Amino acid sequence: MAESTFNVKKLLKQAAIFFAILGPGIITGSVDNDAGGIAVYSVAGATYGYGLIWTLIPSFIVLLVIQEMNARMGIVTGKGLSDLIRENAGLKITFFIFIGLLVSNIGNTTTELAGVAGSMEIFGVSKYISVPLVAIIVWFVVVKGTYKIVERIFLIFSISLLTYVVSALMSHPQWSEIGSSIIHPQLAMNTNSLAMVIALVGTTIAPWMQFYMQSTVIEKGLKMKHYKYTLVDITVGCVATIVVAFFIMVACGATLHPNGIQINEAKDAALALKPFAGALASQVFAFGLFVASVFSATILPLATAFYICEAFGFEAGIDKKWDEAKEFYTLYTGILIISALIILIPNAPLIEISVWSQVLNGILLPVVLVSMILLINNKKIMGTYVNNLSQNIIGWSAVIILTGLSLTLIILPLLKL
Amino acid sequence: MTSLTTFYLSGIIGKEVFGADGDAIGIIKDLLVNTMPSGNNDPNQQLITGVRLKINKEIRFYSFKSFRVTKAREVISVTCTELKELTTEEVNNGLLLVETILDKQIVDMNGRKLVRVNDVRIATLPAGTFAIAVDIGIEGLLRRIGIALPIKKLLSIFKINIPAKFILWDDVQAIDYSNLNIRLSKSYAKLHTLHPSDIADILEDLDRKSSMSVFASLDEEKAADVLEELEPNAQIHILENLPVAKAADVLEKMPADEAADILDEMEDDKVEILLKEMNMETSQEIRELLEYDDDLVGSIMTTDYLSFSATTTVAEVLVELRSKKPESAELYNMFVIETNEELIGSFNLRDLVVSEPNMSVSSIMKSEPLHLLDDQKVGAIAELVSKYNMLAIPVVDQKNQLQGMVVIDDVIEDLTHKRRTNRR
Repeated sequence: MAESTFNVKKLLKQAAIFFAILGPGIITGSVDNDAGGIAVYSVAGATYGYGLIWTLIPSFIVLLVIQEMNARMGIVTGKGLSDLIRENAGLKITFFIFIGLLVSNIGNTTTELAGVAGSMEIFGVSKYISVPLVAIIVWFVVVKGTYKIVERIFLIFSISLLTYVVSALMSHPQWSEIGSSIIHPQLAMNTNSLAMVIALVGTTIAPWMQFYMQSTVIEKGLKMKHYKYTLVDITVGCVATIVVAFFIMVACGATLHPNGIQINEAKDAALALKPFAGALASQVFAFGLFVASVFSATILPLATAFYICEAFGFEAGIDKKWDEAKEFYTLYTGILIISALIILIPNAPLIEISVWSQVLNGILLPVVLVSMILLINNKKIMGTYVNNLSQNIIGWSAVIILTGLSLTLIILPLLKL
Repeated sequence: MTSLTTFYLSGIIGKEVFGADGDAIGIIKDLLVNTMPSGNNDPNQQLITGVRLKINKEIRFYSFKSFRVTKAREVISVTCTELKELTTEEVNNGLLLVETILDKQIVDMNGRKLVRVNDVRIATLPAGTFAIAVDIGIEGLLRRIGIALPIKKLLSIFKINIPAKFILWDDVQAIDYSNLNIRLSKSYAKLHTLHPSDIADILEDLDRKSSMSVFASLDEEKAADVLEELEPNAQIHILENLPVAKAADVLEKMPADEAADILDEMEDDKVEILLKEMNMETSQEIRELLEYDDDLVGSIMTTDYLSFSATTTVAEVLVELRSKKPESAELYNMFVIETNEELIGSFNLRDLVVSEPNMSVSSIMKSEPLHLLDDQKVGAIAELVSKYNMLAIPVVDQKNQLQGMVVIDDVIEDLTHKRRTNRR
């Protein structure tokens, strides 16, 4: 329905619709830049300077394609991804996916809480205070708050992720160098840099996000007539993800890389920024890390508990009473408590935990993606909204590339042994 | 052979069927149960009438009569003496267990909620083979994954039992008929016996397609009651996807204020189409209500009320009530008006019942009753309701002409709405 005449009223109406349905893509995009992601981007920036920034472009395309499929499935079927997998792929595959998802998300939540601990240590707060406190607050916000409030808090959180832009600008990056490294992508063929690329793409596209995206679309009650707005929402979310990732890599690439400083986790990056970009840049970076960690620590356990219950037919939802949805609350609380306890163990192997949960993500991702593409091409489920040829080509090549990357990620450590 | 063999659906799907001479015939893909009452009085036993059999890459339906299922040392074997193909009609009258029940959501009629089916329990009796219950417990999950025994052994060390959870067949209402071409209104018959607000809760938990087909199967009266109980989002979704004629019919059956509330949330052009489809009187009432802003008393008042002229006698009122059979909310408070609709008094059911039949309503009414103005803010209602314990308050305009009444039921909904959250 292309109208050539400019119509202010219509434009305003469209803007209103857009803001009403805004959310799923942007929130998912923001949760994507969690503590694990920030760590990987920082390490990549510190180790390879601007050299690996180009990987963000293919990541962006794949992210966009996958999220579009999720949104379309959510809109057309009104069913969650775990419902669809359970009903169509059988119980054994479902069981495999969700046990994997449970274990890897306990690992991921641990990483998020490690981000909380690390960032608060920069402000001089001991992890024995910050982690239990954040865990308790997160628990209360979710269990006692209504979903609407939770969502609004998340949206405000999303904006503060842009603090990374600030800390990157404070580090005086060389823009011409950044530009040329994106135009001429380079990749040294050795295990280390290959592993880095895999980690970069892998952290951007995590399996649990597919489930999360689809259920937020359903939650919003989106319909096919909203499709183009949803597409804008997803694009904005993906751009936000990539922009934040870009500026983290720029900040670390501009300051740490030229001085040859090696880091292992996101907290190191915040600490190391201090001598080169000033205490403020370091604190801004730490604040961004804190917000991102809390944000993801809120959503991850909740989402995990929700999908598992959905797939296995337990009652789920924060509007249910504890007695009505015992399994749901037990899972949710359990994930949060286990993750917090792991962090509080002195000398806990946090880096290993985050590596292993990434490996598990890597194994799960192809399984989830293949189920997704099979589902979205099933006429019984999707009717006329099945993938068209070009969507399938992009979709399947994304699956093949990601599967290849994930397999490499799993095999690489074995080769090193 | 024992007279009673029980087994699970998951145990028989994929099994090879052997003929009387011991030759393999085909592989079981699905079982068909009768949807009609099975005739042997026990609604908890539903006869298995057919089997979907894969013979050399071809899948067909055969009668289950000539099939025997036996169990020896926990191993199930299926034999068949004769293959008799079912007619399309026979197939359409049945319900496929794998297709519509296994791993799908069903309504547990006893708990009045959606549950997911992990397995179906089947029994072979002398009279035939019957589906008797669905398994929704963790035990069923573990059994199908194939780890029930080791986990049970492990947990028995800690003295923990995995409880088995079954729903008897009579309490099972299948939902997902999307793959079958059977008449839906009949299929959801059990569901229709639930209270409208229970049906509404279930609809909200269902996916789009299923909630539409369940809703479409309701008759107009029930549909209106259910629609009233739904969350605004779900209401709009249903109205937008229903054929316009049916949507208009359902809205006509609702109280005008409720209908106006729903339409207020919808897009203007859609509202116009629906209003045009309705009968003049109802649509006029709704249009008037739609003109009030959301925060004004007029937007939540109902225009379904009873009013009488001052000279009407108690006996006449009672006669009218008997013939009109109004909703109970309309009896909370009844009004006495002048010929120009001006409100002069109110009386309730008690006043009516304790008075002599020949008294006029003007002699039993309270004059100058408490009232609200239609352009007052809704905040004023709660105060009045709690202060004077009123169940229904008349609403008048600036000229003191009766416009409607605010019923406590609607106010409670509004007051508590803030605390209601809706997570799928």
